[in-house]
Order: sequence, then structure tokens, then C-alpha cells
Amino acid sequence: MPLAGFFQASLEPMQVDVVEENQNVEEEQHYVVENASIDLDHYSSQYSGLARLNRLLFIAEHCNSLKIEALRMALNYTMKTTFNTSLYQIIHHKLVLATSGQRVGSNSSSNNLPDVAPVNSVDTQWVEVTSKKAALKLEKLDTDLKNYKSNSIKESIRRGHDDLGDHYLDCGDLSNALKCYSRARDYCTSPKHVVNMCLNVIKVSVYLQNWSHVQSYVNKAEATPDTSSENSKDINQTISSRLKCAAGLADLATRKYKSAAKYFLQVNFDFCEFPELLSPSNVATYGALCALATFDRKELQANVISSSSFKQFLELEPQLRDIMSKFYESKYASCLTLLAEIKDNLLLDMYVAPHVNTLYTQIRNRALCQYFSPYLSADMRKMAEAFNTTVGALEDELMQLILDGQIKARIDSHNKILYAKDADQRSTTFEKAIIMGKEYQRRTKALILRSAVIKCQIHVKSPPREGLQGGEMSIAPASASSIVRN
Amino acid sequence: MASTLEHYVNMVQTMSSTGNFTQLCDFINKSSDMLAKNASHLDNVYATLDIQQTSLGILGILCVKYSLPNIPDLETTLIQTTEFLAKCNGEHVRYATDNYAELCHKFAQALVERKMYARGIAPLVQAIQKIQIHPAQLTSIHSSLCQLCLLTKNMKPALLFLDIDVTEISREGGHFDAKDYLLYYYYGGMIYTALKNYDRALYCFEIVITTPSVAVSHIMMEAYKKFTLVSLILHGKIISLPKYTPQVLQRYIKPLCQPYMDLSAVYTQNNLADLRITVSKHTDVFNRDSNMGLVKQCMTSLIKKNIQRLTKTFLTLSLADMANRVQLTSPKEAEKYVLHMIEDGEIFATINQKDGMVRFHDNPENYNSPNMLLELDKEMQRCIQLDEKLREMDREIAINPQYVQKSSGTHEDDLPGTSTGPGKIQAY
Repeated sequence: MPLAGFFQASLEPMQVDVVEENQNVEEEQHYVVENASIDLDHYSSQYSGLARLNRLLFIAEHCNSLKIEALRMALNYTMKTTFNTSLYQIIHHKLVLATSGQRVGSNSSSNNLPDVAPVNSVDTQWVEVTSKKAALKLEKLDTDLKNYKSNSIKESIRRGHDDLGDHYLDCGDLSNALKCYSRARDYCTSPKHVVNMCLNVIKVSVYLQNWSHVQSYVNKAEATPDTSSENSKDINQTISSRLKCAAGLADLATRKYKSAAKYFLQVNFDFCEFPELLSPSNVATYGALCALATFDRKELQANVISSSSFKQFLELEPQLRDIMSKFYESKYASCLTLLAEIKDNLLLDMYVAPHVNTLYTQIRNRALCQYFSPYLSADMRKMAEAFNTTVGALEDELMQLILDGQIKARIDSHNKILYAKDADQRSTTFEKAIIMGKEYQRRTKALILRSAVIKCQIHVKSPPREGLQGGEMSIAPASASSIVRN
Repeated sequence: MASTLEHYVNMVQTMSSTGNFTQLCDFINKSSDMLAKNASHLDNVYATLDIQQTSLGILGILCVKYSLPNIPDLETTLIQTTEFLAKCNGEHVRYATDNYAELCHKFAQALVERKMYARGIAPLVQAIQKIQIHPAQLTSIHSSLCQLCLLTKNMKPALLFLDIDVTEISREGGHFDAKDYLLYYYYGGMIYTALKNYDRALYCFEIVITTPSVAVSHIMMEAYKKFTLVSLILHGKIISLPKYTPQVLQRYIKPLCQPYMDLSAVYTQNNLADLRITVSKHTDVFNRDSNMGLVKQCMTSLIKKNIQRLTKTFLTLSLADMANRVQLTSPKEAEKYVLHMIEDGEIFATINQKDGMVRFHDNPENYNSPNMLLELDKEMQRCIQLDEKLREMDREIAINPQYVQKSSGTHEDDLPGTSTGPGKIQAY
């Protein structure tokens, strides 16, 4: 990239806050999903651009049965729509590895699968042509931008930056794309442009998994004054839906499930078009799971089940709708079974996969708490039945919940009954008061003593001789020899 | 030769009788060289002087005797010191608190070196009581007494002083050293630990490690180790330290106590097996620090803590199940622990031996018995007394001329050192 140096030196008056790429990326867990039921064609058609590629690659990484198909699709998509030659080569390499591995496996079991065709060798011509094209386009865009700059037409400069950003994105150069998009900030003349710039930055930051960046730009976009007068209402709705999606995603990734749920619930179904990030069914999944894990019954009823706009989302994921209603109807056994059924598919979703286990545990705990909440005493055998588990396992789960303070109850292990605990407010108050009093005395005595110490100017200091050679390890007046040990 | 000693005796006698004690102290300090040269005759001088009338003169002689190399005729000197400490005139010796404290330290040191710990305790108790202005005053002699008590494993005499909360520290002519202060509370903590009064022990260790400091003291480091262990035994975690804890602790001492940090990290996981592994990994360190006993108590306390956790979650539990959950080897062992804990009032439970079930109860204390109310009232009185003490201190500061001058802002070029004491107290 011969232009880059010159480009930065001449045109870069403003600081771009590019943050380290992999800052927030968590340690990937290695797991393999066996029984996934995803229609890849349908699945991938919901996304465009890098989102589609990333998702396909994620599936390829974690699901052996879909690996080759996913990689093939990714390869074709890369060739057709992008200039991203490096990604092409990576995918190709993976595909070669996968097919050869598969063939060895299938040979040994002497069961040749028909759809394992040999992979074409690297299409070097395509790579060369594309790289050339990309370089040419880059040069053109760059000269255009320079011209705009010399004419100093703000609007054109902004567009120039945006185009350049788009091009970098096409080539898969995310950090440069981010730079270009954020450079457009100085040339925004209307709120619409600011929002546009924010959306671009958000998009790239999501690809970079830089969630704090996403959150700050969502805030920035939302703080931009509304211009509903000139813009049609629809566009505003779309923008706000996109922002909500991005904010929800960022909160999900940073484990703020409750606020993630709230964001997803605010997305407007009719204007949910964000194929570069999420599909509507993603919104349904993420929103429903986070809501189940963090909302109490009342919130669930008010914000999810009776929400007309989110209902439309749930229609896209009938299983989730069932889970939601089963949970609300307190049919926990079937709810949990259904959840277990969709777990494999969730594990193939690149954004929710790292959180599936946490969310499932939270949902289960919430179910346990809710089950017990109306009772004074509950038979643990029946409870175990309702939760598809054994009494012993249930006992351990309950014990953990009680220790965490989520359920106020005690277990009668002999008769296998769970009793609600009636806290005696009076006694606890007395107990607390006594503890507070003791603590006060202790602190005050220590302070009185300390004031005496300060009055006498007692403090540990280095002996004068050793004091000079770095105070760190110097031995204070008391040497070890004077310490008596018993 | 003899004439200089005679001169000493005469001076001491005349000045004591006229009550000119400050000058007398100066004179005695100046003549210590002369006395040291005439070491062989000091016993005669001792016999000539009267303990009650000329306490300061005798104090000077005894100090010189201890400073001689290989104290000649030690037995006599020790007897003389004991006699002096019992009979000397408190009013007089208070003019030379530094020499007095030095004498006591040297006396204690001589006894420690010759392993005759026990005979020092009674004289030192007398010595402290004689020199104190009021019982809540701390002197440097306290630390020597605690040392002797620890060495004889006879803790009672030290408790006489440890149980009183110190409100004032004797300056001893500027010779009061941080070392004595640290040692007193370090030994105090050890004494309370030995008596299993962990609450108080923790308080003592906390005082040691929160002493203002700019350098690493070995006493502080050892105290921090013991603080960690006692805190685990008592509270199951390392209690948080007040804000004024010196930075040295965080920055230099903690990294030096890594095995102890490891131990506490594992302890909070409530897993007995892991704790055992950690302990065995660091056994050498714990043994070298002579803290193995406390570490073992930590392990027992974890078992107890785990049983206590069970009482929060269970109403009934079989002994076998309990042994399993607490990682004990057999139901028998679990029964033993539960039994001891019920006896010590740490949990409230009954064991049904027929079917091996333990039934946990709530705390039977309802806070409505006369005894409990009396107890409450006592606690409140203590708090009120402390509050009054604080008010009194506040008043003292308010009427302190230096403080008034400074706070009214008329003299801004006041010496910075003069009002640090009042200023600090005000800040609390």
C-alpha cells in the first residue's frame, strides 16, 4: 500500500480513536456441535457482507457436519462480492484442510460421501485481477478525495471518506475502514450525516468486536438532535432500530444481559433491516433469552409477552415463543426441554454462543425461584419432577441458590422438603445492632490509639545507614533477631 | 578515685533533698563515664544511698552497671534491680523515664539471655505501675513484660495491661521507639492468639500493620502473616483494613507473604482438599515462620465454616451426607465436629443417633431475656463512654492555643510540625 504513508501524512489533521482490535475478544471456548439443524442457505441469506462471512466461518469452526458446506458458501460469497483476497486465501486453505480430513476419515470407514468433491486449487487469476482492481479503485478514490479536499467542499470530502471506508471494508481492512469512517466526522454538516457516520463506525466496531466503541457511538448517535421535519419518519425508525440492535449486541457481549434485553425489546419489527449485523430472528433470540434470564415475572408479562411489536419477532422463532409462554405458564419441565433442544443451534451463533451457558443457568435459577415463590413448603420430589432432574441434583442446585441468597429457604434433607424461611426481623435487627456497636468500639479505640501514636510521632522509618540504598527492602529498627517466637 | 564517687553521693543527696530533680538528672547523665570507670566500687555507693530518698542516684548506678561489658556479679545486680523497682520513689524516677525504661529493658534482656524469664515478670509489673501516670498510658516497658510472659507461657500478668485500651503514650524523653510500640502489640496479638481470644488478637495485629510507616519492618511483616491467619480463622476471609493503612503494606509486605496470600485465596473457595494441597505445598514456609499451628487451626476452621454454611441451607441432614459435603472421611468424624460445635455454641443443632440425622435449629436467642438486655445495656454504655472520650479529646484540641491560632488563620507561617497532632485528630 504505497499510498498509505503519504495519505496519513498529508491529510490527517485529526486524531482517530482506533482502539486495539482484540481488546474485548474473549478467549474462544473450543467445543464442537454435532446435531445442528440449520438450513445454511436460508441462514446465510439473512446477512450480507462481512456478517455473513463471519457467521459462516463461525459455524465452520464449531460444526463438523456443516463445515464444508459453510466454507464453500463463504468462499463463493467472498469471490462474488468482495475484494477481500486474503480472506479468500484463508478460507480456501481451511476448505482444503477440511475436505482432505474428511476424505481420510471417510476412506477409513470405507463409506465415501457423494458430496465431498475435490476442491479447486486457488484461483490465482481471480486473486490477481481482484487485487489489481482493488488497488486501482483505491487510487481513484484517493485522488478523488484529494481533489475534493483541494476544492474544500465539505460534503464531497465526507462522501470521499465514506467511499474510501466502504472500499477498505470490501477489502477486509477493518482498521483502515474505521479510520476513514471516523475521519468523515469533521465534515458532517447535518445531523443526518453524523448519524450516518456513527452507524458506519458502529458497523466496523462490531466486526472488530470493540464493544465499548460501539456503545459510545450509539450514545453519540442518539444524542444527535432529531431532524424529523425533513426526514421521513420511516428512516428515523430504521436508524433508531439499528442503533438499538447495536447497543443490545454490545451489552450482550459485555454481559449486561438485562439492558441488552431492554434494547432488543425496543427494536421496531417493521423497520428492522440491518443485514450487516443482525437478522430479525437474531433479535428475537437474543431478546427473548436475555429477557428470560433477567426479567421477573411481571416485567416478562409487561415487556415481552404483551408487547405487540416483539410478538412479531417471536413469530419468526416459534420455538422461542413456545419457551417464553411455557415459562410464563410455569411449565418449567417442557420449557427447559425446549431450551435444551435449541441449545445446539444457539451454540452456532457467533454472538450468543459464549453466553449460552450463563444465560441457561440464569434462566434455570429464575425458574427454580419462581417455582418456589408461592409456597411455604415444597416437596422436592415433585419439584425435581417438574425440573426434569433428580432429587440429589436439585438439592445441590437449591443449596447454591440459598447460599447466594436468591431463595430464602431451608432444606429438610431427611423428608426431602423445602421450607420457606421466616426471617425474624426483630432478632436480625438486634444482631446487626450488636455487631455495629462492636465494630464502632473497635474502630474508635484504634483511632484514639492512632491519635496518640501520631502525637508521639511514632512511625517506622529506615535506619539512617541503610536508608540511602533504596528503601524497599531496608530493615526497620526492629531486626528479626529481636522477635521472640512461641 | 574515691573522692569523685563521694562527690557523686553528696551531689545526689543534696539535690534530692532540695528537690532539684531536673538538674540532678543532667548531672547523673554526665557522670555515667566516671561511674563506669569506678565499676568495682559501685556496690558500695549503692549501699550508701537510700532507695526511697535518692532513687535517681541509684537508677544512674544501675544503668551504668548494665552497660558494662559482661556485667560483673550479675546475680547481685539483678537482686538490686528487683529491689529498686519495688521500692523506688515513683515521683522521683518520673524525671528520668528514659533511663528508667532503659534499665527495665536491660534487666529483661539480661534475664532473657540467661533464660531466667519468670523472675522478671513481677518486678516489671511493679515497674510499669509505678511509672504510669494513669493505667491507659503505654510505656516502652510493656513490650518487655509481654516478651517475658510469652517466654514463660504465663499470659495472665500481661493481660493486666493488654486488656486496657491505650489512650496515651509516654514520651520517655523522646526515646520511645516505634520498635517497642510494634513489639508490644505484636506480642499482645500472640498472647491473645495463645489464649484463643482471636477477636482481640486480630485487633492487636491490625494495630501493628496500620502503624504509620515508610519502610518495611520485620515485625510488621510477621504481624501481617499472623493477621492473615487469625482473620481467616475468625472471619473466614481477610478483613478489610482501614484507609490509613500505610502503603508499604500493600506494596512491599504483601508480595513477601505470597504463601499466605495463596492460602487465603484457596480458603475462600471453601474447598478443603484444595486447602490441604496448598498447605502441604508451603509447609516449609509455614514451619519456618512458626505459624504451622495457626495454619492447622485454619484448616479446622474451614471445616467448621462449611458446617455452618450447611446450617443456613438445611433443616435436617444425615451425617453421611454431611461428611460427604464437607469432605470429611467418615460420618463419625462429622459427628465429632458437630458435637463440638454444638458444645461451643457455634451452631444450634441436635443429633439423632438412631437414624444418623442432624437437625439444625435457629438461634434460640430472642433478645428478650433480662441477661441479654443487660448485655446490650453494657455494650451501649461502652459506646457512650467512647463517645465521651472523643468529645473530651475534641475539647482539648479546641482549647489548644496552637490549634486556635492556626484555625483562626492569623499566623499562616506557623511551624508545620507543631500542630500535626491536633490537625490529624480533627480529620477523623
